[in-house]
Amino acid sequence: MTTAALTAGLERIPDQLGYLVISEDGVLASAGELENDEHTAGVMMQMVRTACRFRLPGSADPWFKRMSVILEDFAYTVTVSGQKVFVVKRHNNQHEPINV
Amino acid sequence: MGCCYSSDNDNTDQRPEEYKPLIPHPNPVSKPPNGSDWVTPSVPSARTDEQALLTSILTKTAQNIIDVAAAESLLMEPHEYMDKARQYSTKLAVLSNSLPQKKALALPSLTSQPHQVLASDLVPYSDVQQVSKIAAYAYSAISQIKVDAKEELVVQFAIP
Repeated sequence: MTTAALTAGLERIPDQLGYLVISEDGVLASAGELENDEHTAGVMMQMVRTACRFRLPGSADPWFKRMSVILEDFAYTVTVSGQKVFVVKRHNNQHEPINV
Repeated sequence: MGCCYSSDNDNTDQRPEEYKPLIPHPNPVSKPPNGSDWVTPSVPSARTDEQALLTSILTKTAQNIIDVAAAESLLMEPHEYMDKARQYSTKLAVLSNSLPQKKALALPSLTSQPHQVLASDLVPYSDVQQVSKIAAYAYSAISQIKVDAKEELVVQFAIP
């Protein structure tokens, strides 16, 4: 898949504010609020690596398809496909506060 | 006479693994080719203990010394050299397979349709709130674990 083909689908995601496509070697593509955001790329890469290390007993594969980092006004959705990490920053319109 | 110490004894003793040859020498305790003049021919045969001691000293010395003059005569034939190189590379290939992978593990593929997965609805607010609550309860429970001292941990046995 070319970079253009990878990003074309990301552009069409509803409420997206920006995205990152990251490989082992670094950022392959970025746009919107995440344009050239190497810092967020590094943090997301570390988080998804950590998440992938957790395994349920008896299964060798990770048990999730997507990691969500939910903040008050926006959320990062992250997935891995073909050795590339996709990060999309989306507007979070669920405005109720999270009470802990 | 063209001799020198082959290695530092202390290092050899402390890290034998690192100094162990990959391919063992076919006859490691063999005498140097022109080393026969070290042995005095008139050793009295009566004291076998002394002779054994002398032999062990000789062997030890021979192992620790590289005879440069003798080494020059042991030039390897090209095919011998190639054989040795091949032997070493096979041995190294076997050893490197057993080494732990230093590089971070490759990322597993979570999905084959990243766009659909990323475009699907965000996790419902109620689910996020439930997970947050459970995590908060778990954190609170863990932080309240404490040791309740009831009796002495160390007691004296009554020895009459």
